[in-house]
Amino acid sequence: MNYRKLITIIEETATEGGREVDPMARVVIVAAVFDNPWAGQGFVEDLNAGIDSVASDLGALLAPRVIEALGAPLEAYGKAAIVGLDGEIEHGSALIHTLKFGNHFRDAANATTLLPAVEKRGPAGVQFDIPLKHFTDATIRSHHQSVEVRVSDAPHAGEILIALAGATRGRPQERLAPLSTEQ
Amino acid sequence: MDTQLAESSPLLDLSTRSTLNDYSDIAAASGLRKITCTVEELPHDELGSITRATATAVIANPWLGTSTTHDLAERTEAIAPLLAKMLSDRLLDALGGAKHVEAFGKAAIVGTAGELEHAGALIHTPFFGNLLREALEGSSIICFVDGRGVPGESLRIPMWHKTAAATRTHYQTLEMSLPDAPHAGEIAIIAAASTGPRPHARIGDRTTDRVITSEILKGIQL
Repeated sequence: MNYRKLITIIEETATEGGREVDPMARVVIVAAVFDNPWAGQGFVEDLNAGIDSVASDLGALLAPRVIEALGAPLEAYGKAAIVGLDGEIEHGSALIHTLKFGNHFRDAANATTLLPAVEKRGPAGVQFDIPLKHFTDATIRSHHQSVEVRVSDAPHAGEILIALAGATRGRPQERLAPLSTEQ
Repeated sequence: MDTQLAESSPLLDLSTRSTLNDYSDIAAASGLRKITCTVEELPHDELGSITRATATAVIANPWLGTSTTHDLAERTEAIAPLLAKMLSDRLLDALGGAKHVEAFGKAAIVGTAGELEHAGALIHTPFFGNLLREALEGSSIICFVDGRGVPGESLRIPMWHKTAAATRTHYQTLEMSLPDAPHAGEIAIIAAASTGPRPHARIGDRTTDRVITSEILKGIQL
């Protein structure tokens, strides 16, 4: 898997709302920036060849790095595809909305649910928020959360940035009644 | 924490302890809200790769509401070493140890309810700088940026060579942003390091420059 750069972000929250967060909330984001496999080809009707050339390798690159940097069991996860200005959002979606990509993360994390995602087109340094949900039950409200990311100088117009995110727990001071109490 | 409480607490030996895990006591003593480490790996044909990292601590401003004549020394001496330790532990972990660190830099951004001097206090004294330099096994002055800012602030942290500051190949900056920080009553303190020079450094050095003075303005060819 060729990439221009690989970014790992580890964020730990020790206090929130003026109170200690125990255990500390750790969120990890790993992102790769690489050439859009469909760059310069005009409108490509069938994206499968590009998906096959990138998606699985990308999942295999990113997933273990999230698990390793997390250093504790993953409880929530999500993904992102940010397409440079010369590409289509569909190009980013193509690379993350396939089991060839996501199963690497699910297998590494012993997860079962669909990965929530953000797909967006933007200039280098564009800010985006990755949504995360519980790794085995997407209805578990305590684990609905998102993390803000901005990667400097990426993606360039002909590039795509793909990221995976994982968290060790739910929101730092989660205290909402579960979904079941409203059903 | 007030001074009396600090004096009555047992002394900790942080010189050999890692703050990567199980550091809630250090976090509480420094007023830490969150700590972030961002690592950027750039594949490189000759060097294999260049890794650049920032470590950022966001803490409660310990001097909120004090006047511009307030003595900053006591809190600086208590907090700055904790910040230096937490941040250098993360940079060393990200870059694979001090032997891989070639360049470094630092920054502090104080929230809008604080004073610029509060940011400076936490990075411009030996209680931060000397400990960071020693941990990264450097000898140069550490270059920096400081300022007052709002959450989401974007900044570029300058770095230069850790033992030979005038080494031109290692003049570089790392762009970063501070999501949700610093709040008005907070300070963000940042340390940065790189395992190498600029990716394709090729603008010579002091050792290769010929003597250049304003004399050259007398014979400019357009």
